[in-house]
Amino acid sequence: MHRQLNGHEPGNFRKKFKIAFAIVSIMLSLLIIRMWHLQVIRGDELTQRSENNSVRLRKIKPLRGLIMDTNGHVMVDNQPSFDIVFVPNRARNIHDVASKLKNLLAARDMALSMDIPSIGKKRWFPSVKLEKNISMEKLAIVETHATDLPGVTVEVVPIRKYLGGEMMAHIIGYTGEISQEELKKETSGDFSVGDIVGKDGLEKYLDQYLKGKSGAEQIEVNVLGKEIKVIGKIEPVSGYNVVLTIDSLLQKIAWDALKDKAGAVVVMDPRDGSVLALVSSPSFDPNLFNGGISFDDWEDLANDPSHPMGNRAISGQYPPGSTYKLFVAAAALEEGLITPDTSFTCNGSFELGNRKYKCWQKHGHGRVNLHRAIVESCDVYFYNLGKLIGVDKLAEYARGFGLGQFTGIDLPREKSGLIPTKQWKLSKFREAWQMGETISIAIGQGFDLVTPIQLVNAYSALANGGTLYKPRIVKRIETADGRVLKAFEPEQKASLPLSQKNIEILQYGLWGVVNENGGTGRALMRKEADVCGKTGTAQVVGLPDDERARKRKIISAKFRDHALFVCFAPYKNPEIAIVVIAENAGHGGSAAAPIARKIIDAYFERKNSIHKKSQPLVAVNQRSQAGVYR
Amino acid sequence: MKFDRRLFFNFDWTLFFLILIISCIGLLNIYSAGYSLDNFRQETLYIKQAQWIIISLLLIGIIICIDYRFICRFAYVIYAVSILLLIVVALYGYATHGSQRWIAIGGFFFQPSELVKLTIIIALAKYFDAHMIERGYRLRELLIPFCIVLIPFLFILKQPDLGTALILIILFLSMAFFIGIEWKSLMLAFASGVLLVPISWLLLKDYQKERIMTFFDPENDPLGSGYHIIQSIIAIGSGGIFGKGYLKGTQTQLKFLPVQQTDFVFSVFAEEWGFLGGLILIIMFSVLILWCLKIALQSRDLLGMLISFGITMLIFWEVFINVGMVLGILPVVGIPMPFFSYGGSSMIVLMTAMGFLLNISMRRFILHP
Repeated sequence: MHRQLNGHEPGNFRKKFKIAFAIVSIMLSLLIIRMWHLQVIRGDELTQRSENNSVRLRKIKPLRGLIMDTNGHVMVDNQPSFDIVFVPNRARNIHDVASKLKNLLAARDMALSMDIPSIGKKRWFPSVKLEKNISMEKLAIVETHATDLPGVTVEVVPIRKYLGGEMMAHIIGYTGEISQEELKKETSGDFSVGDIVGKDGLEKYLDQYLKGKSGAEQIEVNVLGKEIKVIGKIEPVSGYNVVLTIDSLLQKIAWDALKDKAGAVVVMDPRDGSVLALVSSPSFDPNLFNGGISFDDWEDLANDPSHPMGNRAISGQYPPGSTYKLFVAAAALEEGLITPDTSFTCNGSFELGNRKYKCWQKHGHGRVNLHRAIVESCDVYFYNLGKLIGVDKLAEYARGFGLGQFTGIDLPREKSGLIPTKQWKLSKFREAWQMGETISIAIGQGFDLVTPIQLVNAYSALANGGTLYKPRIVKRIETADGRVLKAFEPEQKASLPLSQKNIEILQYGLWGVVNENGGTGRALMRKEADVCGKTGTAQVVGLPDDERARKRKIISAKFRDHALFVCFAPYKNPEIAIVVIAENAGHGGSAAAPIARKIIDAYFERKNSIHKKSQPLVAVNQRSQAGVYR
Repeated sequence: MKFDRRLFFNFDWTLFFLILIISCIGLLNIYSAGYSLDNFRQETLYIKQAQWIIISLLLIGIIICIDYRFICRFAYVIYAVSILLLIVVALYGYATHGSQRWIAIGGFFFQPSELVKLTIIIALAKYFDAHMIERGYRLRELLIPFCIVLIPFLFILKQPDLGTALILIILFLSMAFFIGIEWKSLMLAFASGVLLVPISWLLLKDYQKERIMTFFDPENDPLGSGYHIIQSIIAIGSGGIFGKGYLKGTQTQLKFLPVQQTDFVFSVFAEEWGFLGGLILIIMFSVLILWCLKIALQSRDLLGMLISFGITMLIFWEVFINVGMVLGILPVVGIPMPFFSYGGSSMIVLMTAMGFLLNISMRRFILHP
């Protein structure tokens, strides 16, 4: 029979339940205390051990995507970098090992470039890079003395190889290890310490496509920290390849022609806004950043008054000088204020109130119509137009050409330039607009600021019959096997606010600048007589926000005008548009136009030799090539 | 049997939902443990586990309909059947990882050693209920109940499955203490237990000795048998306070953890959910266990009390030993985490046991027919 629990019996058991309750509670609390011990007190230590263990989890860095020019020539590749790494394992005394390594290297007149971080009394710490991108000699020493150097291993990581070197630096940018600030901002969780990310240029702009995906591998290591075998591996995924619109032949010619001066050159295909070449000088060698730039090199670059790191082609803001006259003429024609036959007399200066505004031609151009005024770049004619149009109307047309606003090119840190209006001056300086200022901006001086990319884009729009494109530097993104992942199609931003008739009048004017007697751009006159262009000379020092640089230049009396030249060719159905800005180089016609000429000659020379396909990239940067396996 | 409305009103929803929630968290966790960054290992164990949970719930439904006292009339028959199954395992069982534990029933692999855990509880409860000794059991009087445990114990040790064998002994001791042992006998048992340790050491297999040695010094052999403990401790510790996030445990996803869907599921959970997640889970188990104790306390008769106490102890010891082992405070013995580890046999047996608890709880107010 089943035993009933009446009255007296439960009391006996109740005591045992109390004991059971106590034992259960105490033992489960023990588990919680142990969890606290492991996860809270030893949490950090064990987190590091999870990445850095006797069975180690090693991240395998992916190869970043290649960057190629429009013809498929590789401009940015990857190369192996050999890094000496100390992995704390059984051998915990990093200083003993490091001094042993130093002695070994010193015996062969070599040094260890990095300082040993102080580890203190921590039981566990992450692996420490002793030196990045070591030479083959050092590699040999470390490998042959492996048994004497417990914990020291050589890791092979891919680093960038910038074949274009200085000539491509401002387009490509450079890479580096992700910084603390970048890590904090990053929320996707895709990044961790030590990851390589794009820091500037397209490396930064297209980082999400280029970066690829890290893999990982489980490695069994012995007590010396040497690998015994790979237990498991997840392959990294390489980044996507990027094909640019850049034509490396033109890029190289532009760079070679400009590199001794400061300034920028942009070559564009006016038919679709593709950037064929974009150089900024002075430049820097992005290969310096491989494996971490040294402190001295960084100081040199960052403190250089000529700003080699800045991309003048998109962020250099210059007074447009006489190249601005095109937009003034466009406004006057389209507003019906003048006809092509409207003439003014130039006797060398223009009077407004009691002030005289000089023409660059001291003796005057005499009586000139619109066409001749463009050809000879007569200042007085445009002073008159400026007075007729007024600053706000002029600004409206300048903006219609895309000036004073971002072009939207696929590169970081573009500047917008400046096209002043009455309202702008009032809100900025709390002063009314003066008519004299309109006279100045009518010839592209004063407040007006444009970037080279804006200028070439505006002239391209005139060249192609009135379509303003968004400049395009990335053509497409491909997978490693060549499948197109994303194509960047030409993008029409707007149409010029001009009638077809007026566009043709202006195009003819620009043809005259190069090909007629008295034209300021005669340097571009080829036997085909197919180039249209406009010279400019700007009277303010470039990168005007840098007061120190300006002062230094004035003190050293090296101040000279900036030379500008914008052109396109051929006259009918243009295929190429170029802007050249050479800082402190003098007159546009004499200093900037010859650079444009070299590019145009090369372009048509190649085009005419139809049999040969596009020429390969001839000279790659010598330093970067030598740096592969020193 | 006439349906009594009070059965429905007394149904223990708290217990039912606690089990259901823990099982579902376990299911999510098994999904994560099988989730892999690489594609060459396909893991669909979570689907199977979900099927086991559903089957178990049906079983609970069947078991609560039959009065536990009716079932217990056949306690020794059920016990005998489970022993028979162990014999079948010993003769025709399937072996994996060097131990022969499984038999195939209709395409499924079943582990009779899991079933034995429940059948010895029922058999012991039946025996103690029938032989209540007020002054407490003496050693000689404990011989028969000890034999009830010893037979399956030896079979299971032979498989070998040290963990389950150990659980049987622990269950016996728990229930014996509960029913009461005479003080003198208790001392004697303790003394002989101390003497038995060196003898049993000789009987252990090498890998079992190794595991126990490793427990005392896991770092001694980090690439050998200490690997499991070290990897588990690293996984749990690296979870920190808040964890690495669901499906983001690196130790787990990169398959550093050993048998991470069965014995080491808790490491997976603690790595991904951190201290807070682990704390909440342990608290949920604590609530479950204490709730079960409450059911035992409130049972109407000694049989119900003994069965529910035995089942409570089964869950408690399995949780404690499994988590303790995973946390590195107990040696690595293969004991699954109740409702959490992957395994059909374990899930079905434990759910059936829960069915018994619900059964006993429901009928606590019904007087003897």
